Amino acid sequence: MPPVSTAAHDSDDVRAAAAGDRHAFQRLYTLHVGRVYGALQRLAGYDHARAEDLTQEAFIRAWQKLPGFRHESAFGTWLYRLAVNVALMDIRARGADPVSVRDDELLPDPGETPFCAAERGELEQAISQLPPRARAVLVLHDIEGWRHEDIGDELGMAVGTSKAQLHRARGLLRKALGEHS
Amino acid sequence: MNEFEWRRQLRELREPVAPNRDLWPAIDAALDGATQAVTPLPARPSRRRRWLLGAGLAASLLVSGGLGWQLLQAPPRNTSTAATSNWKPADPRLAGAAIELDAARMELELAIRQAPDSAGLQRLLRRTEQQQAQLRHLADRAS
Repeated sequence: MPPVSTAAHDSDDVRAAAAGDRHAFQRLYTLHVGRVYGALQRLAGYDHARAEDLTQEAFIRAWQKLPGFRHESAFGTWLYRLAVNVALMDIRARGADPVSVRDDELLPDPGETPFCAAERGELEQAISQLPPRARAVLVLHDIEGWRHEDIGDELGMAVGTSKAQLHRARGLLRKALGEHS
Repeated sequence: MNEFEWRRQLRELREPVAPNRDLWPAIDAALDGATQAVTPLPARPSRRRRWLLGAGLAASLLVSGGLGWQLLQAPPRNTSTAATSNWKPADPRLAGAAIELDAARMELELAIRQAPDSAGLQRLLRRTEQQQAQLRHLADRAS
């Protein structure tokens, strides 16, 4: 899992929000919205409107679930994980089941396509064009820093399947970047 | 460029991003209709949740096996069509499978209440509902 990037001093606000304090929850929103929105934007393929919808949904669900937060992890980590789950459920609801490998034939064999440097905008553009399932695995592993075990748990698939999906997603990305360069 | 540099390039994309507009007013408005969970929920998968997942999976596999075996048998003669829940065909071979599927579905629905984010449970529920539909189709065809 990625390192906790937010301060741990928000525990008072977490407790207050869990007890129904809307102002405390707003402070938590202000503190964490950047991390949540950033991750959801990447998972949504840089579709800003969808990332905004997912962010709202994530915070609403966090509010509902806060009374069950046990402080066993940092609030930021808990919220981030919940938000990623909201995005993955959205991908599945849109008919792109991240567990399936049905569209494997759409993914090219990475073969000997070389790694290549790219501008940030080019990278984001190439990631946005990946199929949702492939993008989810690539974003979670190569950008968000998740382990295959965690990806497998979240997507309900075997570690080997996650590795295979990543391998092929990288190939697709590298191919797209190669064509642009 | 080697793989290490490639991955570093991708990792640089991992940074907080501010949304283009303030999302709080919409969230704040939505919270009016969003009630907080009264019963504290487990912060991470608990033993109970894992047990429920395991039980759901076991029930689903058991029913799949039983249903597959029944599909291989001679077609039943008397069945009835009914609503999704508590539907019991007249043929005892299908009735057993219908009861098992109903129980598995209810078990999974309970587990999903405990762990609404579990993709695995949702998938098992969909599979169980598909099996119920297949069973009803089989009963309709035989009647």
